[in-house]
Amino acid sequence: MSESYTFIVNGITRTTEEDKPLLRYLRDDLHLFSVKDGCSEGACGTCTIVVDGKAVKSCVLTTKKAVGKNILTVEGLSYEEQEAFVYAFGKVGAVQCGFCIPGMVMAGKALIDQNPNPSEEDIKKAIRGNICRCTGYKKIIEGIALTAAILRGDEKLDPDLEKGDVYGVGDRAFRTDVRGKVLGSGAYCDDLYLDGMVHASAVRSQYPRAKVLDIDASKALAMPGVLAVLTAEDVPHNKVGHIQQDWDVFIAKGDITRCVGDAICLVVAEDEKTLEKAKKVIKVSYEPLEPVRNIHEAMAENAPLVHSKGNLCQQRHVTRGDAKTALANSKYVVTQSYTTPFTEHAFLEPECAVAFPYKDGVKVYTSDQGVYDTRKEISIMLGWDPDRIVVENKFVGGGFGGKEDVSVQHLAVLAALKVNKPVKCKLTRQESINFHPKRHYMEGTFTLGCDENGIFTGLDCEIYFDTGAYASLCGPVLERACTHSVGPYCYQNTDIRGYGYYTNNPPAGAFRGFGVCQSEFALESNINLLAEKVGISPWEIRYRNAIEPGKVLPNGQIADCSTALKETLLAVKDVYEANKDHAGIACAMKNAGVGVGLPDKGRCKLAVHEGMVELYSAASDIGQGCATVFLQILSQTTGLPRVLLRNMGANSEVAPDSGTTSGSRQTLITGEAVRMAAADLKKDMDEVGGDLAKLEGKEYFAEFFEPTDKLGADVPNPKSHVAYGFATHVVILDDEGKVKEVYAAHDSGKVVNPTSIQGQIEGGVLMGLGYALTEDFPLKDCVPQAKYGTLGLMRSNQIPDIHAIYVEKEELLPFAYGAKGIGEIATIPTAPAAQGAYYARDHILRTKLPMEDTYYRKKK
Amino acid sequence: MAVTTQKIAVVFCTGGDRANRRTEASTLGLDCRRAAEAFPEGLLECGQGCLGLGTCVDACPLEAIHIGPHGAAVVDRERCVGCGVCVGVCPRKVIHLVDASTTILPRCSNQDAGPVARKACDVSCIACRICEKNCPADAISMVDNHAAIDPERCISCGMCAVKCPRGVIVDADGTFTVSDFS
Repeated sequence: MSESYTFIVNGITRTTEEDKPLLRYLRDDLHLFSVKDGCSEGACGTCTIVVDGKAVKSCVLTTKKAVGKNILTVEGLSYEEQEAFVYAFGKVGAVQCGFCIPGMVMAGKALIDQNPNPSEEDIKKAIRGNICRCTGYKKIIEGIALTAAILRGDEKLDPDLEKGDVYGVGDRAFRTDVRGKVLGSGAYCDDLYLDGMVHASAVRSQYPRAKVLDIDASKALAMPGVLAVLTAEDVPHNKVGHIQQDWDVFIAKGDITRCVGDAICLVVAEDEKTLEKAKKVIKVSYEPLEPVRNIHEAMAENAPLVHSKGNLCQQRHVTRGDAKTALANSKYVVTQSYTTPFTEHAFLEPECAVAFPYKDGVKVYTSDQGVYDTRKEISIMLGWDPDRIVVENKFVGGGFGGKEDVSVQHLAVLAALKVNKPVKCKLTRQESINFHPKRHYMEGTFTLGCDENGIFTGLDCEIYFDTGAYASLCGPVLERACTHSVGPYCYQNTDIRGYGYYTNNPPAGAFRGFGVCQSEFALESNINLLAEKVGISPWEIRYRNAIEPGKVLPNGQIADCSTALKETLLAVKDVYEANKDHAGIACAMKNAGVGVGLPDKGRCKLAVHEGMVELYSAASDIGQGCATVFLQILSQTTGLPRVLLRNMGANSEVAPDSGTTSGSRQTLITGEAVRMAAADLKKDMDEVGGDLAKLEGKEYFAEFFEPTDKLGADVPNPKSHVAYGFATHVVILDDEGKVKEVYAAHDSGKVVNPTSIQGQIEGGVLMGLGYALTEDFPLKDCVPQAKYGTLGLMRSNQIPDIHAIYVEKEELLPFAYGAKGIGEIATIPTAPAAQGAYYARDHILRTKLPMEDTYYRKKK
Repeated sequence: MAVTTQKIAVVFCTGGDRANRRTEASTLGLDCRRAAEAFPEGLLECGQGCLGLGTCVDACPLEAIHIGPHGAAVVDRERCVGCGVCVGVCPRKVIHLVDASTTILPRCSNQDAGPVARKACDVSCIACRICEKNCPADAISMVDNHAAIDPERCISCGMCAVKCPRGVIVDADGTFTVSDFS
């Protein structure tokens, strides 16, 4: 006799005969998509719902255990509650990628019901089981507090804010995606359930390095509901890769795996249950081989070759002046080695894609950082004209660089073409952790010299990156690590050698900071040691060397008029000096735009349609908010209110290629293209007296390209990048050695959205603190040991007070109203500043991240 | 800035009559303390279990403790103010003060190895480590042969309670486990 389980969901009595995680029931059976699946392990909190008044993770509870209970999701909140959350979260800027938000809303709802006037501490405690990787929690805490105030009648919501009559550059504009993300009504890929959709998932290697002897899928193929099993033989060109195509789609029989999680074959089945069963009966026989565990093993003579061309994946030599002589003649010289770990992006939304046959080719809904990049990788794999492949972003639940490579998009496409149906392909959280590209592990030795006044003379350094099994973005990331290892100063003798080695570890690629987190940690730590030798403060040595407009950066580029590093230093001077025996300071610079001579173009098309202006630009909004920034620039230029503007999203079929969301480039590069197109529209508007109806059907296209010089260009002052952002962070410890406060001062040029930039800074700082103090990615013989809950991601009850400061100069660059990027730099100076704070406190030089022997990681 | 957190008493044993007795001798008229003295060999197969004779019940100034349906002491979470009197009087040391907001706890104090613990009581922790393996926050470890949760790490997700095959890990709110005794 089958049992049945009855409970109430959002006021409706429901009965099911299936005993399964409540999360699956709510999503798969009731299609309540506000309930997100971020890990299915109880770790992330994205599936938080309210059960009998208590915030509960629905992946933990089962339908059987839910019998008789009263269950509430965001969809079941009252109209007043929904509106209060939408307004409050939008007003304070609590929403970035949004994937954690419905869970935060429900944790907040349970708290407010019990305590209508919660304190900051109460809120931090209530959401401590909910991870947010974007915001640093501060604005979510403010959002819940404001919601509570509205619901108890102390504050009122103002509908005009979301309507957006005031939506220009510099305004605290309400993001375009708040409502869909707060209420769960906007779709991420996993929220798509297309008619006839089936599911695909890969059988993956448990071994980092093993020869695949045989693949026997006969039992799986005989199972009812199994539609296909694809292997390397089914792929026209069995390679993908963002830049270098060195990544096997499937490891073919007879070939050797390169890391844990390498795909062996792809199973397509009618439903997820059958899919899991089918995967289990596929027999893959392996001959395990000794893996290459680290850089040293990769470099060793007679090391096994991870790729046939050798284990050295990429190298760079960046040099200018004569570092050797300069260092030999320096009054003070410091040489020190540093180690930084692999870091997991831990974006809240695991990789997911849905593909289906479309026109004369295929279309795929994706969660990635560049639809044209994904299109290119798939076109190479299929050997097709790229135009036959359409890629469109749904909401992207965080990326941070980790969604630049294809992960599931190409697999969904292969499956959809094979079975001629829509196919969803997603990674489990553990799969995502195990093999999507990480931040590179680094070992580096840095020698920095200065004169008797602390003026830097030269830098010599050698940087070794472990790029794991595949190149991913090793080349450019290593290059940025090298070019930025000099810091935002103005000395002219550098000799920087960088090497990226293949190993059998998980691949490493792009991660917010793009190599610079590693090299600037080392450089900034050395600077403190030099300051000590000279006898001046860490602040003073930085100020004496700081780049300023008209001076020459170590790469030869002349700092432009907008350069405001000194202003950021001055912004934190007092607070640093007042706390200097337990505070650390660090500076950073980060390019905005890809630069180095590459054709880095921003494109935008505006179309006047049905009395509105539609903005077409394939620039992925991965949570940072560029979709809103573009509309603000459009509104600023045309004077049109938000209600007449519509961002049509990143869709390769209709929107022009505006490059990857990478290199902190979208605000400046695409933003300027938007401004250019908008200026053309504005001109026409002025001619017709501002009557949009008279321009119906007209289109305006603009392409922005500001040439740069390639690395090593033979010119006296090569211009490597269109712009640089600058920052200074100060980390202050309390008596226990816990981080009490962080002051983060940033020069990002003109601030387009003050609320958004604060959120970017706060989230970046917390990510930087995690890098410094808590986050690690342990490997045992190349096998990842971490799960989502043990990555060391900071929780809401661990956060310090983060003060986001931006300095705005009058002199600005002539692009995008003077805006420069913020995305990456916010996370760069935090780790060296934290290191400096501990050094100031106990005089122990911690050269390895995450730092040992701190409040967060006690001495073993 | 020290945040004072409200404490609450929790009995780290739910065994009662589900623990096997070592003797059939009557304990009539004895409280826990005297019974512990009268039976030096032990009253129960479990060397750490609640004796259920109510020393804590009598000692509690707020009448916040009673002997539950299974014969082990149970704290009324609404009444308890965390004064700690019961902690001091329990001869078996199975009552501890915890943060009042903590609802999910492994309620067993048995220190024997798995097979012995299994024989001693129907609801003993046998240190099978299923909770430890499923904990997403690495908050659980085995201490003295039974599960212990590090409150600093615990995120109260309830995964351990749902997965525990022995019903040792109890959710006081009754969301993840049925708690007919607390």
